[in-house]
Amino acid sequence: MDDPLLELNKAGSEQPEARNSSDGARQRFVLGETGFNEVPRKYRKFYRKWQGEGDSLALNEVLCPVCLVVIRSSRELRVGDRVYCMPCMSRLIVTREDGILLAKVVY
Amino acid sequence: MSDFLSAFSIQSWLESCPQGYLDSTEYGHRPGEKESEAMLDNEDFLEQEIRTTVQLVLGERAALAASSGLINLAPDDPSRMFLATQTLDEARHVEIFTQRLYDLGVKKSDLDGTLANYGNPNLVKFAEVLLEKIDKGDFVAGVVGQNIVLEGMAFSVFEMMHATNEIANPKFAHTLSGTIADERRHVGFGENRIGSLLQAQPEKKPEIQKMQQEMTAHMLAVFSDSFAESEEVIQEVQTSADPDAGPAMYQGVDLNTADSEEMEAVLSNTVIGEFKTRLARIGLEYLPPAA
Repeated sequence: MDDPLLELNKAGSEQPEARNSSDGARQRFVLGETGFNEVPRKYRKFYRKWQGEGDSLALNEVLCPVCLVVIRSSRELRVGDRVYCMPCMSRLIVTREDGILLAKVVY
Repeated sequence: MSDFLSAFSIQSWLESCPQGYLDSTEYGHRPGEKESEAMLDNEDFLEQEIRTTVQLVLGERAALAASSGLINLAPDDPSRMFLATQTLDEARHVEIFTQRLYDLGVKKSDLDGTLANYGNPNLVKFAEVLLEKIDKGDFVAGVVGQNIVLEGMAFSVFEMMHATNEIANPKFAHTLSGTIADERRHVGFGENRIGSLLQAQPEKKPEIQKMQQEMTAHMLAVFSDSFAESEEVIQEVQTSADPDAGPAMYQGVDLNTADSEEMEAVLSNTVIGEFKTRLARIGLEYLPPAA
C-alpha cells in the first residue's frame, strides 16, 4: 500500500492521505517546502507566503491575521484548534465566521 | 509568566534571522547585485530614489531610538531580550538603507546634508510624538506607537515598495524582503505583548488613542507630500518601462499603471485598515486624524 506520508512530493505540493470519513477523521497532508525562509529550517514547511488576490486556503491552512503568513498543518484544521505562528510569535485559535475558517489571536 | 514570552529569545532570533533569511546576504541583498542602470542614468529617477530612501533612513533612525529606549522600560526579561533583537534589526535597517544612499551616489560626507535636504518634516513630527512617550517612560504607549503604528505603517510601505521593485530592481526588492520579515516579528511582539498589558491597564487607552491619532495625521501628511512630489516621475517611469513587464500588483492595484493619486489612496487605505484591525484586536479604538 502506498503511504502518502512517505511519498516524496514536488516542492510546495501536498497530498491528502484520506478523504474525510463519516466518523469525522481528519484528512492528513504531507507538507512540502514552500520557499518560506523566515523561520528555522525544520519549521519552514509549516508556513508559506500569502499570495493575495487569487490565493486560497486549503483545508489544512489558516491565515495569520497579525503577519499575513499562511500557517499549514499536517492535519485538516477545525474550529477550536490552536495553532502557532512562528514568524510573528502569535498564538491563535481557529474559529469560523460566515462559513470561513479564520484564526484569532489569543493574548 | 506565560509561555509565549519564551519565544522572544535571542536563540530564536539567531536561527530565524542571521542564520536564516539573512544568511549570505550583503547589506540585505544578494552579493554582487546592483541598482538598475536605467534608474542610475536618469537624473529625475535617481533623485526620486534618493528622496524615498532618505525617508526610510529617517524612519528607521526613529525606530532605532524608540526600540533601544524601550529596553529599559520593559517589565520583564523576555520583553527586554526581544527589544534588544529589535534594536539590532532597526540598526541593520538604518545601515542597509544608508548604504543604499551610497549606492545611489550620495557621498559619505554629504549624508547629513542629503538627509536634511530631502527629509520630510512630517516624518520628523511623527517620530517626535512617539519618542516623547518613551522619554516619559511610558512602555505601553511606546510599544503601541513603535510596534503597532510605526511598524504597521512600515510593513505596508515595504510591501508596496517590494511589489514595485520585484521586477524593476531586484537588488532593492531583496533588501526589502528581509526588512518585511523583521517587521512580522515586530508587529507580532507589539500585538501579543501589549494585548495582555492593556487588559491589565485599561485606563491608559484614551492617551494611547490620542497618540495614535497624532501619529496617523503626520503619517498621512508624509504620504500626501511624497506622492505629490513624485507625480511627474511616476508618469515618466511608467512611460519608459518595459511594455512586456508584467503587472506589479499591490492590494488589487497595478502599480505599473496607477497614477500617484491612486497609489496614495491604496497605501493610505491599507495602512489605516490595518491600524483599525490591529488596534481593535488589542482593545483600542482607531481615532481618525482631527479635522
